Amino acid sequence: MDPKDESAIIEGLTRGDPKAFRELVERYKKKVYYLALDMAGNSVDAEDISQEVFLKVFRSFSTFRQGAKLGSWLYRVTYNASIDHLRRKGAAPEPVGDEVLEALARTEPGLARRGACDPGAGLEASQLQARVARALEKVSPQEKAVFCLRHYEEYSLKDIAATLGLSVGAVKSYLFRAARKLQRELGTSALLSHGDTP
Amino acid sequence: MSECKKCRGHMLEALYGELEPAERDRYERHRRACPACAAEYAALAETLGLMDQRRRPDPGQEFWDGYWDRLSRRMVWEATAEGRRPSTARGAIGRLFAGLPRWSYQVAGAAALVLVGVLIGSRLVGPRNPAPMTNAAAAGPSAAVVQAGDFIDRSQVLLLGMVNYDPAKEDAYGFDLAGKKAVSHDLAAAAPALREKLNQPGERRLRDLVADLEVILMQIANLESGQDLDGVELIKQGVDSRGLILKIDLARMSRAAAARGPVKKSQA
Repeated sequence: MDPKDESAIIEGLTRGDPKAFRELVERYKKKVYYLALDMAGNSVDAEDISQEVFLKVFRSFSTFRQGAKLGSWLYRVTYNASIDHLRRKGAAPEPVGDEVLEALARTEPGLARRGACDPGAGLEASQLQARVARALEKVSPQEKAVFCLRHYEEYSLKDIAATLGLSVGAVKSYLFRAARKLQRELGTSALLSHGDTP
Repeated sequence: MSECKKCRGHMLEALYGELEPAERDRYERHRRACPACAAEYAALAETLGLMDQRRRPDPGQEFWDGYWDRLSRRMVWEATAEGRRPSTARGAIGRLFAGLPRWSYQVAGAAALVLVGVLIGSRLVGPRNPAPMTNAAAAGPSAAVVQAGDFIDRSQVLLLGMVNYDPAKEDAYGFDLAGKKAVSHDLAAAAPALREKLNQPGERRLRDLVADLEVILMQIANLESGQDLDGVELIKQGVDSRGLILKIDLARMSRAAAARGPVKKSQA
């Protein structure tokens, strides 16, 4: 996002400009939703969490530290809201259901096309999606947030630490544990005997 | 083996390209020399490669197009629910009266309004020898309260215009949604600063009312351009369910009472 746009939004929100709030929602709704989806594992909770995030921002923008990055701050609010949400539910994220897998197949036009020509390839691709999604369920929310920010959002370890309010050491540790769990779940960890801690 | 341990600690940073050049060289040297670490690196790379295949389900364009509307509805709903948020006793009372028709609530509301008027009146028309004024009372309402009064009056005019608008009977152009949006925008923008100023103990209700109005005003300011009748209907429901007009009336009565001077009480 253009830093000028970002500072205009921050300025507007500080003034209490409703248009700035809408602009913020339109700009960041996807990022917030997808991090919430990573954390919660289903679209209903993801939308609920993402709305909570924007409600919190609306009510308490005064807690935004001037000079901070708006995107990072929103990720932090999303992370905290997701953890709260999962705690309130008192359970691990729900297992990935068939509707999610169907949605995944719809999302990936390449998969559908390949599937149309070669049903075997399509099936293989959706099975891989299911395996990957289920592997991620085994990772704790904190580990998942760190992993997703590093792997999918390409945040550096330092930026993740600043965004989530953790030390870089803690981020490395969460990332390592996430990777190890994913290895086990995906069956790519033949060499775990070589040592299991960083 | 201690070199292996160090390298393992850097493996993910190496894979994500986050090692400093000197550390990276050292890591690479060790990996070339140690088959176990090389195999572990390859296995982890394979895991991350598989995770690259992950696709997050896209909820679709319709979902994104309707996102703001759903968020707006929730904001109005939350603002509405806040005042009614629930003690257990209140829940039980709610269940007790759940079967009553809507008109009974309206009658009860009107009766409550009369009662409040009587109470305020009886406090104003009290005994002859009033207690001496305190300095605070003598000083009259604070600047923030006066400002809040103006804010509430302007909001009320706007909200009444929205609530009383009937698209079946009235000309849409006469309704002037664009003008109402502009006024709402200005009022909503002024609300946060006003809330900050209303920080005295006796100003809590006024502050809450300003906060409630802010939510509704923001909804109006963000209505779609043109004639967003669905949005207007949503606003009407929000105003109605929150009892905003009644609250505004009560705030006005309270201000009027305060403006007439200190409360007259019978002297003991």
